Formats: sequence, C-alpha cells, structure tokens
Amino acid sequence: MNQSITQLGTPPARRATRTRTGLLSGLVAFWAQFRRRPYGMVGLIILILYAIMALAAPWLTPYKPDEMYLADRLAAPVWARYLPRFKGAPPTLRYTIGPGQWDLTRHENASLTRATDQERGELTVVQLSPVLPGEAPATAELSFPVHYPHNPPNTFDAKITYAVEAPVDAQTTLSYSIIDPQGTEYTVWDTTVYGSSDWNTATIDSRDFQVKMKLGLSFFDDPATTVFATKGDYRLVLRVSSTAASGPVRVRLAGLQANILGLLHGLLGTDHVGSDLWTQLVYGARISLIIGILAAIAAVAIGTVIGLISGYLGGKIDEFFMRVADVFLSVPTLPILIILSAFLGKHIGNIVLLVAAFSWMTTARVVRSQTLSLKQRAFVEAARAAGAGNTYIMLTHLLPNVFPLVVANTVLMMPVAILYEAALSFLGLGDPRIPTWGRMLQNARAFGAFTELAWWWLVPPGLAITLLTLSFTLIGNAVNEVLNPRYRERT
Amino acid sequence: MAFFEVKELTMYYRTLRGQVKAVDGVSFAIEKGKALGIAGESGCGKSSMATTLLRLLPNNGQIMGGQVLMDGQSLLDMPEEQFRRRIRWKRISMIFQGAMNALNPVHRVGHQIMEAILTHEDVSPTEARRRAEDLLNMVGINPKRFDDFPHEFSGGMKQRVVIAMALACNPDLVIADEPTTALDVIVQAQVLKAIDDLRQRLGLSMIMITHDLSVIAQMCDDVAIMYAGRIVEHGSAVDVYSQPLHPYTAGLVRAFPNIAAGRSTIRSIPGSPPNLIDPPTGCRFHPRCPLADGRCRAEEPAFQVVAGRHAVACHKADVLAGGVDIWQQRQLA
Amino acid sequence: MGITALQNGVKVLGFRAYLFRRAVSALLVLFVIISFNFAVFRLMPGDPSSLIIDPRFTPEAIALLRQQFGLDDPPFVQYVKYIKNLVTFDLGQSFTSRRPVIDELKERLPNTITLFLTSFTFTALLGIAVGVFAAARRGSFAETLVTGAGLFTYAVPTFFFQLLLLLLFGYYVPIFPIHGTISAPPPEGTWAQLLDRLHHLVLPAGSNVIIGFGSWALYTRNAMLEALSQDYIITARAKGLSERAVLYHHALRSVLPPIVTLVFLSLPGLVTGAVITETIFSWHGVGRYLVDAVLQQDYPAAQGAFYLIAIAVIVSNFLADLVYGLVDPRIRVAGENA
Repeated sequence: MNQSITQLGTPPARRATRTRTGLLSGLVAFWAQFRRRPYGMVGLIILILYAIMALAAPWLTPYKPDEMYLADRLAAPVWARYLPRFKGAPPTLRYTIGPGQWDLTRHENASLTRATDQERGELTVVQLSPVLPGEAPATAELSFPVHYPHNPPNTFDAKITYAVEAPVDAQTTLSYSIIDPQGTEYTVWDTTVYGSSDWNTATIDSRDFQVKMKLGLSFFDDPATTVFATKGDYRLVLRVSSTAASGPVRVRLAGLQANILGLLHGLLGTDHVGSDLWTQLVYGARISLIIGILAAIAAVAIGTVIGLISGYLGGKIDEFFMRVADVFLSVPTLPILIILSAFLGKHIGNIVLLVAAFSWMTTARVVRSQTLSLKQRAFVEAARAAGAGNTYIMLTHLLPNVFPLVVANTVLMMPVAILYEAALSFLGLGDPRIPTWGRMLQNARAFGAFTELAWWWLVPPGLAITLLTLSFTLIGNAVNEVLNPRYRERT
Repeated sequence: MAFFEVKELTMYYRTLRGQVKAVDGVSFAIEKGKALGIAGESGCGKSSMATTLLRLLPNNGQIMGGQVLMDGQSLLDMPEEQFRRRIRWKRISMIFQGAMNALNPVHRVGHQIMEAILTHEDVSPTEARRRAEDLLNMVGINPKRFDDFPHEFSGGMKQRVVIAMALACNPDLVIADEPTTALDVIVQAQVLKAIDDLRQRLGLSMIMITHDLSVIAQMCDDVAIMYAGRIVEHGSAVDVYSQPLHPYTAGLVRAFPNIAAGRSTIRSIPGSPPNLIDPPTGCRFHPRCPLADGRCRAEEPAFQVVAGRHAVACHKADVLAGGVDIWQQRQLA
Repeated sequence: MGITALQNGVKVLGFRAYLFRRAVSALLVLFVIISFNFAVFRLMPGDPSSLIIDPRFTPEAIALLRQQFGLDDPPFVQYVKYIKNLVTFDLGQSFTSRRPVIDELKERLPNTITLFLTSFTFTALLGIAVGVFAAARRGSFAETLVTGAGLFTYAVPTFFFQLLLLLLFGYYVPIFPIHGTISAPPPEGTWAQLLDRLHHLVLPAGSNVIIGFGSWALYTRNAMLEALSQDYIITARAKGLSERAVLYHHALRSVLPPIVTLVFLSLPGLVTGAVITETIFSWHGVGRYLVDAVLQQDYPAAQGAFYLIAIAVIVSNFLADLVYGLVDPRIRVAGENA
C-alpha cells in the first residue's frame, strides 16, 4: 500500500522526492558544488578548526576553566614579556621543597633526616639534640636557593606543614624568611611551639596584615615589592631551633610550598581570580558551538513545522500562524530575551529555548512560501487523489523538497544564536557556572581589564565570536547559493 | 552635401572573449526631411549603431573609427559636455524600443517630458509644462494626464509618450529603434501612423531601425540592409524591394509572407547570423549564400552603385540583377 | 524579508485601507505584548506579590499594599487594572530607588533618543552616501570599501567593537570619557554643557555608525547598480541629462522607496542595539535602566522599561509601513499592479 502511493506520488523524471539512494547522491552532488566556492570553503575550514578546538580542549590546556590562582590576577600572557610594558615581569614560580632539596646551612646540635608519611609523602625531619639550660638552643637552618631575575611580583605565599615531637619542657621555634641577594633577611613568619604539636599548617600570604606588620610595613605597602626588590639569587630560609633539656626534639616537615604568583601566565594570561584565560577560551568554544547548533536546529525545526502546516493547510490556520509570526516579529528581541532570561533563571538551557522561541519566524515564512508554490504541483495532487493523508503528504512529499531551504536556514541561524547568547552573557544574564565567551567579556569589563589595559582578556573572546559567526555566515551563503540559486535574497 | 552623413563608422565591444565587431565600417547618408530605414536580423548591430550615434555606449563599447557629420559638423570628436548640451536630444533624439522600461516608474510622465525641455532650453517651468502638454496632445494623449505615472498607461500609450518625449526639443533627426516591436498589430498601426504624421508635419529626418520590412516599406524613403555589422545594400525603398540585388536582401524580401499572394510555403534563410567576435572571412554572408564561391570566401565585396542611389556590396549582384530567384531551392518543408 | 510581505499586502488595497490595516495590526501586537507581560509576571513561581511589593517590607505593610495594589482581586480585575495603569502610564514604583518608574523613565528617555537618533541618522546618511558613491564609480577602491564594510558589519558583533573602541579611546588614548552622558559635575554654562554632552556622545554614537554603515552601503550600492542597469537610465542619458542628474534624480529616486522602508524597518534593531550600547558606555538611558532593573530584580522598573521599548518598536514598525506606502507611488494612487 505504501509503495503504490509513493510510486504515484513520485513526479516523473525529477529527483525532487528523495529516496534513500537519492539522498546520498544528492549529498555528493552538493559537496561537488560547495567545494567550488572559495568563501564557503574558507568558512568551513575555520569551523573545523573551532570544532577541533572544542573537542580537543582537555588536550590543548592543562588547566580547568575554573581553576583559580594559577597566577596573579590579571596576569599578562607569557609572550607579553617582549612588550616594553612587561619586560622583566615574573612568571609564576612554585616550589615544593622536600627532603634532599634543603641545604643545611647551619646546624648546631641538629641534623636532618628523612621519613615517609602515608598522607603527607616525603618528610624532612629535623632532629634537634637536647641542650642544657643556659646553652645556645639547637638550631638548624634550612636553605633553598631561588634564582629570581625578574621584576618584583605582587604577592608571594607559602604553606608550611609541620609537626613537633618534643618533651614537655621543649620550646621550639620555627621561622621562615627570605634573604635577598644583598643579604637582607626578611622574616615573614615565625611560631613557637611548646612541647609537642600535631600536624599544623601555616599559610603565609604576603597580603596578610601580619606579614606587613612583621616586616614593619604599613597597611598600604606591598611586601612583595619590598622583599623582591632586586634581581638575583634569593634564599628561602627555614629556621628550626629548640631548647629542650630532657630530650631530643624532632620536627617533621612536609613539603614546604612556596609560591610567587607571576604577572605572566599562559597563552592569554589570567582573569581576576587567576584562572587561565586560554582555558576559558578553549572551553568556551564548546558552549558556543553547542548553543549555536541546538538553538538553530530548534528554531528552524519550529519554523519548518509551522511553515509547512501554514502553507499547506491554508485558510484560518494560515492566518493564525502568520499573525502569530507578525506579533513575534514585532517584539523587540533583545529586551524580551533579557526579561525572560531573568525570570527563567540563569541556566544555559533557557538561552537555547529563548533564542529558538524568537527566531523561528523567518524560516516559517520562507518555508511557507515554498510550500505554497509546491502545493500546486502535480505530484501533490496525485498523492491526494490516491488518498494520502495530510500529514503523510507533508512529511513525504513536501518536507524533502523544502529540505535544502531548511538546511541553508539552519546554517545561517547559527551565528544569530551565538550572538544572542554572547549578548545575554555579556549583560550578565548568562549562566555563571559555564565559561562562555560572552561571560569572559563581561568579566573583563567588570573586573578591571579596562583599567589595567588588559587587552589580551578582551580581544580573544571577541575575536573568537567574530570569526565563528563569520565562518557560519560564509558557509551559510555558500550553501544557499548551491541549494537555492533562486532564493538569494538581498538583505 | 547630405544633411546627416555616417562614414565608415566602426564600433566594437570589448568582452572577455574578444572584440565584438558590432558596427564595422557602416556608411550612409540622409537628406533633410527624409526617412531611412535600417533593416536586418536581430544581432546584426542595428541597435548598437543607434546608441553609437547618440554616443550612449556602455563601458565596454569603443568607437574605433569613422565619422558622423551633421550639417558638416563632426559629431564623434566633439567634447562630451558639448555633445550632451547641443546635440543629444536637442538635435538628435531617440524613440526607444520597449517603452515599458524606457520611462522611469517613479516620475510622472509629463515631468519626464518637461525634464528634457528644461535640460536643453532656457525656459520657465510653466512654459516647459505648457509645451509638454502640447506634445502629449500632439501624440493623441489627453494633456490632463500630465501628472499620471507610467504604470497607469497601456503599452501603446506609453510608446506615444516616448514619442512625445523624443520630440520635446524639436530635434532635426529622430532615431526610432524598433518602436513597435513590443506592440500588437493594431496598436502598431496606430503608433506608426502617429510617427508618420508627425514626421511629415514637422519635417523631421528619421532613421527607422527595425527587422520588420513592411514597416520600412510603409514609412521610409530609403532603406539600408544591415548584416553582421555591415551595410550590404542600400537605395530607395521601392528600388530595393522590387529589385533586391544582394542575396540576403532577396532572402528577406522572399521570407515575408504576402497576404495577397496565393498559398506558398514559407521560405527562410537557412543558418544563423555569424559570431561577431570572429566573423567569416571575405563576404560575411558567404556561409549562408547559395551563390558563394571562392572569391566570396576570400575577398570582401566593395560597394558598387548599380543605378541612381541603389548600391550593393556583392560579387554576384549581376546574378540577381538578372531576376533569378536564387532562393527557390531553399524551401523548408 | 518584510518588504515582500508589505508589497503583497499593499497590492490588494488602497492606501487608506492599507494604513488602517497596519494600525490595527500594530495595536494588536501591543495588546499581545502587554498581556504577555502581565501573564509572565503573574505566573512566575513564588509569590507574585513579591514582584510588585518589595518583600523587605513588614508583613503589615505588605498586607496593606496588597490591598492597595489589588493583588487580592481576582485575576481578571487585576488585568483590567493593569491595562488601565499602562494606558495612563502609571508604571508603579521602583524597588531600588523608591521613585515612580515613570519619572525615572522620563529622565532617561531624552538621552536614549539622542543617542538613538544620532547613531541612526549618521549611519543611514553615511551608508547611503558611500553606497551611491560606490555605484557611481565602479573603481576598485569604492567596491572594496563597500564590500569590506558590509562584511565587517555582518561579522563583528557590535558590542565587541564598542568594547575595543572604549578601550582604545577611553583608556589607552584617553581622549573620550569612559562613561556617562554628561560629566559629573556638569560644567557651567549652556555651551560648555552642550559640548560636554557631545563629547560623551562621540564614542557610543560613533561606534554604532562605524559598525552599522556597511550594510547600508552594500544595500544601497546593489540597489543603485540594479537601478542604473534599467532602460530608463539610458533614456535619461539620451535625453542629455548630466551624469549627476541621472544618478540622483533618476537612479537614486527610484531606489528611495525600498531604502526608506529599510530605514524604518531597521529602527527596531537599533532599539535593541541601544540596550547594549548604553550598558557598555554607562549611558543614562532606558536600555541600561532595563538591564540594571533586571539584574537587581527591580520588577516594576523592568516592566516599565520594557513597556516603553515595546511601544517604541511597534511605533517604528508602523512608521515603516506608513512611509513605504507614501513613498511608493504605485501604492499611493491605489492603482493596479505595476
């Protein structure tokens, strides 16, 4: 039964109705035509590059988009060091100093050994002998050289994890200092432990007030600039001393973490919380592509369905749908997207829905007009004469004919969707958990890219959006030219 | 000396495929008050010649040589500005083919006529308007329709507006380029009559370009037959039609069905007009000519005067002069 | 696009009937929008009264206000009151500033209009001029300029370009102010104030113009080229008209109807663009008010601003219809199809 209807409905000698094999050969023919259009090919190449970027994101960057404090805030890209403004700017330096890395530069009644802890890995153990009262305390000075040939950083920090095993009368002092090339010693932290102490972690940040006080600086001064004022060889010094009469003191140290947050980082620098911008850019490609594709498909799907129904069934239904389309078209799109997104919440799925809800009209119109002209054709009449139902006709006969138009529209709709998402994110209505280029631009604006002249934060996402929409437009135009030589609408 | 003379006018179009030799050494002359018809198939260069005479060539058209003289004054080397002010429309005007497109749809018709007057003459707008209304009257259109738009007129009326516009500045010479081709037979007759009346009344000289021999027979004193960018025969209409001396002319005349004659098969000239980028050597008609021989293929025939004003460019003119119907064998079934 | 729809609608009716129909359509759209506005705000999850009465009020105050606002009335009564309020432009009170929304809008509307009109006028003028120029001289420079500008318009998102310009001319080379409509405190004297306002206007309006003129130029050029290839242009030249007269009086004149329509059809898009421009340049206008209100969850303000914007868009659509009808004589005379 189905077969006979199809045979009746197949128009003579025209490949209008696509059979399965027809589709394949149609695609091949399409590609042959598309290849000949240079602009389309350029667009396609750019798009493929973006797709690669999106897919290969985890391999293109070692970081995750929300990893914070990889460097100082608003750090410049690594290659900016060739610009006069950033000459000598420091990159991020991280040290984890374990056993074997410390130099024991001074020891009196003290020695160094190692140990292993299940949780904390390799430990450096400072063994301090008991001293008689009145004698000098047992001291160990652990030193670690740091070669620092850069301009002063903005901050530095350290994390010291220690545990003390000592007799009750022991008084153990630990201190952490930085000695500059001139030999000036800056003690940024110290602590005294009475008796034993379980594992403790001290976090030292140069921005802390205690550090500033310790260094004798005011609240507004910058310890990092003071300490790292010169270029040369520095030493990080950890001093452990104790006075214990009754027994030895053992101070166990886990790997000491010392960081200097750099002002240069990565391919595109960092944002206001030190997250890598290149990572955000690369992961942002995923979102933009997905949104673009989904929203475009949704919009065109709605539009096609409405266009087909409206065009084919005509009459009151047609009037109704076209009126609805008129209303939607008259509504100012961005304002309504703004209002609705605020109400529906800042969720990424909402943006797809909203964009689709307000972009289906052009497709509907175009599909409708082609349906109207197809409606008159003989094969439609023949199918109806054979008793085919409306839905069947629309699906099997009209839809394949309308398909080239639909495809072209889909491709051309994608840049629109991407731009809307970017605009909404930029205005602050996007999903804050998802890294998109629009959000990057918003952050740039809100968190000081302008005042710090951090153009590397601003330009890449914007450029990324531009190139992506450009590529879609080029492809869409080429597709349109190939599939619909007569539908080249001007404007 | 003739009123209007064209000598060896040559104009080529530059195209990607080469030079199109649209007008290749055309010469003719017109006396004051007389009408010359230029006949030929589509694509023979007639319209190109018309635009050349008014120096309205497109960007890729180039005048390669020749002279155009009006009252002895050379028109081709006149500076553009001077030509535009003194000659174009003022002394030579044109009735266009396809009046539907010749009029600007967003301007009123009366205004378009007035515009021509105001461009060339220093009169007040009121005076120009009055004259435009007179012109509309003259071509048989109610002057009250001055303010109407072109889309409100029928085809024939639009053509008459175009005629009125052509006469706006009292030119000496009017070039009519297929003025009735797009019209139906009855309207055609009306328009032709209008043109003829005006011409007689105003003493205009006219060049009538058409592929329709009957129109020329009706309206023109002289006729020139054009083929592949060249004039192959010219003379008075009576002479040329009654005694065609060029095989092509003979073919054209024969191809015209005669409603008064008895039934006969329609004869047409086999083949098609030549490619003007690479025209045939020698006589350009030789591929289609039943009389062609080696000499025809090699040597271009020169113009020979046969009798009075009747001249022809053909090596075999004497054959036709003898009254032989060379096309008799070439009948289509 | 919209133009074909217009042409189809118009061919069947005379001008007056056409205008009437478009007016009805505009009112219908307005009605739908405000009803939709009503429905959305009342259908939101949670207590709808929190949309009108600031939830930070005391419960007694809230109860009182509920009564005052008629929130306990049945929905239909609320709807009628809502329509009445809108028609009288009683738009409620802003949560954040406690001032009547209508007053805040009145303050900001002139700024938006200024920015809008300036951007729009110069974009159209520049675009059309460049388009005509490119059509008149088919030299390679004009063509590349137009094609390049057109592509630029299409490809670069406006807000990105504006951010760049702001960075460049507000920060790097600080020759223009980076935010606001006027300096704070404003300078003395009317002239100084005027100049100050102009100074602030340059970046926002300028960025819109640079980004926008390309598509105008492209469209005008294409339309002009098509017009110039028409037969009546040959007629005009044959009539001995100067090249200038041919270009402007004939070619441009016949291209004017679709261009003028385009002018008005692009108005709604510009309204939308104003929202972003105002946000970027911190312009004291209605668009930024909308965004800020939404971000601060100041619902009366957001509603009010949206209402105003919707009216603007609908009005400009209607104007487009009106002007198209006027400019194309085929419609004016209510004649048959051309």
